[in-house]
Amino acid sequence: MKILVCIKQVPDMESRFKVNRDGTWIEEQDLAFRMNEYDEFAVEQAVQTKEQLGTDVDVTVLSLGPGRVTEALKKALAMGCDRAVHIQDEASAQKEPWQIAGLIAAYARGQAYDLVFTGLQSQDRGSAQVGVLLAELLGMVCVTTVIDFALKGTSVSVSRELEGGLKAAVQFDLPAVVTCQLGLNTPRYPTLPNIMKARQKELLVVPAADLLLEQALTATEKMYPPARKEGGLVLEGEIDDLADRLLAVLKEKTTVLRQG
Amino acid sequence: MEFELSQDHRVLQDSVRDFVTNEIKPIARQIDENHAIPDELVAKIGAMGLLGSYLPETYGGAGLDILSYVLAVEEVSKACGSTGILISAHTSLCCDPILQFGSQEQKQQHLPPLTRGEKIGCLLLTEPDAGSDVAGIATTYRQEGDAFVLNGSKIMITNGGYLGTGIVMASHDRGLRHKGISAFIVDLASEGVVVQRNENKLGIRGTYTTAFSLDNVRVPAGNLLGSEGQGFKIAMETLNGGRIGVAAQALGIAEGALERSLSYARERRQFGQPISEMQAIQFKLADMYTAIESSRLLTYRAAWLKESKKPYAMESAMCKLHASETATFVTHQAIQIHGGNGYINDYEVERMYRDARITEIYEGTNEIQRVVIAKMLTS
Ligand SMILES: Cc1cc2nc3c(=O)[nH]c(=O)nc-3n(C[C@H](O)[C@H](O)[C@H](O)COP(=O)(O)OP(=O)(O)OC[C@H]3O[C@@H](n4cnc5c(N)ncnc54)[C@H](O)[C@@H]3O)c2cc1C
Repeated sequence: MKILVCIKQVPDMESRFKVNRDGTWIEEQDLAFRMNEYDEFAVEQAVQTKEQLGTDVDVTVLSLGPGRVTEALKKALAMGCDRAVHIQDEASAQKEPWQIAGLIAAYARGQAYDLVFTGLQSQDRGSAQVGVLLAELLGMVCVTTVIDFALKGTSVSVSRELEGGLKAAVQFDLPAVVTCQLGLNTPRYPTLPNIMKARQKELLVVPAADLLLEQALTATEKMYPPARKEGGLVLEGEIDDLADRLLAVLKEKTTVLRQG
Repeated sequence: MEFELSQDHRVLQDSVRDFVTNEIKPIARQIDENHAIPDELVAKIGAMGLLGSYLPETYGGAGLDILSYVLAVEEVSKACGSTGILISAHTSLCCDPILQFGSQEQKQQHLPPLTRGEKIGCLLLTEPDAGSDVAGIATTYRQEGDAFVLNGSKIMITNGGYLGTGIVMASHDRGLRHKGISAFIVDLASEGVVVQRNENKLGIRGTYTTAFSLDNVRVPAGNLLGSEGQGFKIAMETLNGGRIGVAAQALGIAEGALERSLSYARERRQFGQPISEMQAIQFKLADMYTAIESSRLLTYRAAWLKESKKPYAMESAMCKLHASETATFVTHQAIQIHGGNGYINDYEVERMYRDARITEIYEGTNEIQRVVIAKMLTS
């Protein structure tokens, strides 16, 4: 069985972000980068699947982006993936989801993967489209927002997270693309010995220029921080009266007190 | 000349940071208040491979380099100085001398339980009448058949309370001073090893600081480390390496305190502005960061020298000296930036201030570091 995990390297979300000069993306200069949090669950699920099925499983981790993304790939290798593919693209930040999915599909098409894991979305761009588009391009089933995953033979049962606390049980057959929601599993820490062992694993570099690039379907015109909100509401007065007024505000303006 | 961490080092740093954020940071205060690092945490640290970072894979280590070890101790110490020195003392003061001076057999026998974390290591050097003056130790040994018999007392032993593996320094003739000292690998669960007490102390309260008496402790002859009379050299070499670990601990504590000071200064408003916009606070932050970065360069360089098998005694003394004084300075300023809150233990910098202080004392006081540096500089 061949498994592919697609991961993205994103800025550390603790960073302080600035919009870049041409106003279409963030200034990357001083940022620290890490593996997209959703993708850690994707990697973990792939590795758990390998552990469940035994030796006949080969897990490839793939990332598209500039040179720095090999750091995220090495982490995935240290978590237990078998090999890594780096689609090298210094201009990945300027590409939109259709193009990214297109480049990944261009690589993955000939590889006959049975199962593809991606994160539900990236923490920076947040389009939640790459996994879905990749499935479309590869002609595979796609199941999104997965919070529970069980594989038996070539049949998969998953639980999907819906809005409002609802869940959906879904069954499907491989091959398929699964996009992983936070909480799907508990991503492991790469241990020091595994970090060392990962250095021996294959890391294949494929220039994006060697792969077919799709036409962009959308363009980001402008990135901007939201306008600053006015100062909050300050309630003053007697404590009983205050509690009543606060209750009224919560009822009127928020959903926190609504049942079900 | 490269001043950037390699990607491999960053992967390690990132992984340890995740581990620390989830497993250590949430309980750092509890470790201080309970005067104990939970056994489950020690087990997790072992499983993570943090107790054998740069030891070869053949002995159960991770086979990484010394800079990786430094980065790991630094990350851990950002959250908890106690856990930082547990790892550092175990690795530098016990595993390292066995690796450097042990026979093949000794390494095979003693290192795997240490790297797996089944045994926690320590160094038993200090005595009531021998601190800075290492050559003055009074613990004696004599040979009896196929064993050495040790008698004396050892004090302030980090990790001692785990009763794991100890490197014990003893003399067969006190009159010979440093020439009479030998080093032994001792199972601290042996008969005759008696814990007198675990000290109550200012900082790193999660660690054991143990006083032992050694009453006719029989050590198999095969546990002599190096040759007879080589003990003083082993102790000095061991401390040279250990100082890099202490520097990493101090660096981590200082970074932890700066991190908290920065976020506090941005949030705390007085006179209608965040205090981070006041020059008096800004200058503190600038000095703190500059001291931290210079400590980092010294510490990483000492690690690189040791890794490259180049002389590093002076550099390890300098990095320990500078990083420890930086930790004291930075944590002091961190409390000042936090104002009254800094003095109250909800804000953590109070603990860091207490934890920092020891780094100026152990593995050679800073006076001794200056003696070492000056001697090498002027001789
Ligand atoms: C928490 C803790 C953990 C420790 N862990 C360990 C451990 O794991 N293993 C171990 O063996 N020991 C350990 N120690 C002991 C520690 O290494 C010693 O306390 C330290 O080396 C200083 O020795 P001393 O306390 O006897 O001080 P002293 O040597 O009595 O020094 C007192 C003062 O005199 C100064 N001084 C002494 N000689 C000179 C000189 N020649 N020139 C200038 N100034 C001098 C010192 O710098 C110091 O200011 C630990 C101590 C503590 C507090």
